[in-house]
Amino acid sequence: MGLMKILKKLKQSEKEIRILLLGLDNAGKTTIMSKFCGKDTSIIAPTLGFNIETLEFQGFKLTFWDVGGQKSLRSFWRNYFENTDALVWVVDSADRLRMDDCKRELHALLLEERMAGATLIIFANKQDLSSAASASEIAEILDLKSIKTHNWLIIPCSAMSGENLLKGMEWLTNDVASRIFTLEQV
Amino acid sequence: MPESAAVSSTQETMQRSSRTTARRGLPASHSSRPAASEEEIRKKDVITPEDAMSLNGVTSDYLCAHDANVYDIDFIRFQIRDMDSGVVLFEVAKPPGYDPHLHQAGGDPADPDAGRFVRYHFSPSFLKLRSVGATVEFTVGDKPLTHFRMIERHFFRDRELKCFDFEFGFCIPNSRNSVEHIYEFPELPADLVKEMINSPCETRSDSFYFVDNALIMHNKADYSYDEPDGTTEGSA
Repeated sequence: MGLMKILKKLKQSEKEIRILLLGLDNAGKTTIMSKFCGKDTSIIAPTLGFNIETLEFQGFKLTFWDVGGQKSLRSFWRNYFENTDALVWVVDSADRLRMDDCKRELHALLLEERMAGATLIIFANKQDLSSAASASEIAEILDLKSIKTHNWLIIPCSAMSGENLLKGMEWLTNDVASRIFTLEQV
Repeated sequence: MPESAAVSSTQETMQRSSRTTARRGLPASHSSRPAASEEEIRKKDVITPEDAMSLNGVTSDYLCAHDANVYDIDFIRFQIRDMDSGVVLFEVAKPPGYDPHLHQAGGDPADPDAGRFVRYHFSPSFLKLRSVGATVEFTVGDKPLTHFRMIERHFFRDRELKCFDFEFGFCIPNSRNSVEHIYEFPELPADLVKEMINSPCETRSDSFYFVDNALIMHNKADYSYDEPDGTTEGSA
């Protein structure tokens, strides 16, 4: 039995899902994660390392890895790719000036071998701001249609209000589960 | 709040780890394991996670010197919240701008183990909590950490209550990191709970921290559950 198969079986028996949250700085990664976990989101400082949350959700054991998005930290992202089941890409929908950066970083990640097969969800965050671009606009700018290597979904959300966070996480969990946990357990 | 309390309170945290966590109920008996002698382990040049797992109780003393932490890993905040009510039950943090080097210079040089031990005082109702979130925050020095791993083992007398094993993996140099484990409390038999309440400080834990499978930090804690309700505190 190959190593990948063994790993898969281990994951299967423990029902663990490893989720990596990435995106440019100030996109709202930590706020999304904190809101989802029922934490106070009134004061969120820039992440200068990682924030991890582990919790049970729909019978799965989710581990979120939220790694800082500042330019100086992006070169460290690769240290967290291993065994990633799902990538949560967070976009500041009101930050139109940096959409090109955002697109470039996302597409670079998708080329990573260790991210192959990972489920991709794009949170078009900050929909509570009047200047926010819509999810379909962002899908266009980020050229999501060209992504053939990953199951993906873009969903408008607001980390401040919590709108659509649960819906997004449910889709993500179901998508990962259908890929990894459907084999009959041995 | 003495600063040292913040340091050691992290042990409590990481215990709520993942991978091998027993979700409900007590972990399986470890009687099949060969009983490792603490003295034999202490003689080794490199103490590994397997060594920590082979122990049949809390150690009588620290398995590594305080200066084995050559990575400047510093625990700066610890918090426990009740997931059902959302209430923060316990929190200790070092003040902003805290500098471990400055502090050490002014601290008590006579006791290098200060800050490696914390004594928790909880009320009996703490043992009735169903679901809690335990957060720890730590900073890392100039060197990156590879394969950073925590193993925390909790015993009441010689009975293992919980074992947590969490692999952080890589930590960015000069980073500030946080981890929250949201988990269900193990269900303890009523007679055991009663005994724990009636035996202050006999619930104990060892927290072992490894970098590249070598022990670099060892902290200890003990726990009492006989405080009046509404009281929760930790002290070094």
